[in-house]
Amino acid sequence: MEYLYGIIIIVGLYVILATSFNLIIGYGGLVSIAHPVFFALGAYTSAVLARDLAVPILLAMLAGMLVAVVASIALALPSLRVSGDYLLIASIGFQLGLLEVIKNLRFTGGAGGYVNIPPFLIREFGRESYVLLVLVVMVAVVLLVRWIARSDYGRAMSAMRDDELAFASLGRDAMWMKITIFALGSGFAGLAGALYAHYFRFIVPEQFEILQSAAILTMVVVGGLRTTWGPIVGALLLQALPQALTFLQLPPSILGPIQGLLFTGLVLVFMFVRPQGLVPAGDIWRGAGSGQLAAKRDR
Amino acid sequence: MTGVLEIRDLNKSFDGIVVARAIDLTLEAGRVVGLIGPNGAGKTSLFNLISGVVPPDSGTVTLSGAPLDRLKFHERIRCGLSRTWQHTRLFPSLSVLDNLLIGTHDYPGERLVEALFARSGLRSHDTSARDKAKDILGRMGLERVASGLVSDLPYGQQKLVGVARALMGDAKCLLLDEPMAGVEGQSYAAMQRVVREVADRGVAVCVVEHNVAFVRDLCDEGVFMFAGELMARGSVDELIADPRLTELYFGT
Repeated sequence: MEYLYGIIIIVGLYVILATSFNLIIGYGGLVSIAHPVFFALGAYTSAVLARDLAVPILLAMLAGMLVAVVASIALALPSLRVSGDYLLIASIGFQLGLLEVIKNLRFTGGAGGYVNIPPFLIREFGRESYVLLVLVVMVAVVLLVRWIARSDYGRAMSAMRDDELAFASLGRDAMWMKITIFALGSGFAGLAGALYAHYFRFIVPEQFEILQSAAILTMVVVGGLRTTWGPIVGALLLQALPQALTFLQLPPSILGPIQGLLFTGLVLVFMFVRPQGLVPAGDIWRGAGSGQLAAKRDR
Repeated sequence: MTGVLEIRDLNKSFDGIVVARAIDLTLEAGRVVGLIGPNGAGKTSLFNLISGVVPPDSGTVTLSGAPLDRLKFHERIRCGLSRTWQHTRLFPSLSVLDNLLIGTHDYPGERLVEALFARSGLRSHDTSARDKAKDILGRMGLERVASGLVSDLPYGQQKLVGVARALMGDAKCLLLDEPMAGVEGQSYAAMQRVVREVADRGVAVCVVEHNVAFVRDLCDEGVFMFAGELMARGSVDELIADPRLTELYFGT
């Protein structure tokens, strides 16, 4: 049972990661690969605060989310000011650099990882309660992103992604919007990280490296950009795949690289063969009160 | 006549190539000015300088007495400036109506908290914005395509949508960059009618256009631009009749 709970929690957390990354790269059109680093920031912040500074875990988790938000703004502010492409470059540097820092600091446990993270809820209410918590957060994040995408804000995101200069020519501030999207998406990744830390109770820098970026990107692209179900389907599929691979009983030294190749291969195949992903978004923005629906109502 | 937009001594060059030299220009309420000149004269660059897409080397731009020089592009639009683009620059993933809805100044969309939580305020905004958009589309003869995808429209109608979108913000000054390029038939008449109506409501309009008939029919006066300089200002007929300008235009 414990094994099953672990899988449910992992899948739930990846749905949060993929959904929030979909907000950034799909709806926002912001190209970044640093999503795992905000996952890491949330995990490490919450873990360190709760274990070494005896901060109540719930507060520590929220602080983890907040640190991810602040860090994402610090990253986005200078890079988005220049041009969208710089965010990609800056995000790579940020991910490599920060993980290197974590590996070399004493209070983060270094490359060996951070151990004995205090558990949350499990001792008092059992593992089921934590599964429930993760699922509730997952559903909340999915619904919130869906709500945003279909609101007036979603319409503006669509316009901004289509043509930033034209968006500005209507008096709209694209810069502010991009930072908001990036900060919100990264904050969700931070929350996922905090939730990870207090269940599995052990985190290590290498689990947030570039392979993780590839995994999350693959989930969104294969599942379907700019859809509610795409990242969910993608996360389920891409989590099932490595589980299936373990049955091949390959040595761990080649299992990692094979996964990496598989992720990259899947992204390439989908880019060429089915760019819309498994769950197609269609080519028109569909808001709750979109022009199409409203026009039908009027008739 | 009061000057709505005032440009004083505006200069800009890119690596030694002058696109604006000592430009002084006043646009007045209710008047349509045609900005005429050969390709490369700096007409679109002037629009970019006025709207803040490109910063000038020196000079000032004021709108209704308020200096715009320190403001960014989108902030200038909020002050009452509006512009269109030579190549429409519509939002292809949105319907015609949604393209217009983004254009109202009180659109709550780009501030997340406001867009999500100010529900009651939004509804009234939404209704009035929709009514306004439908009114503008109606005047352009586009009401029947309002719910269609903007990229499915013929090019002439897309140009109309571009102008319609620029009208959503109730601008005091409207800059139209080649509104007639690729526009024919019914769209041609609609464009002419709508631009005239806008000017008659007291908006200062400036049009960059190569279609001489359109400029002559629509514009109250013309300004001739060449190599980044304003060479002459007068009635369109006068400018056309000036052999010196004709020579500059055709490069003979």
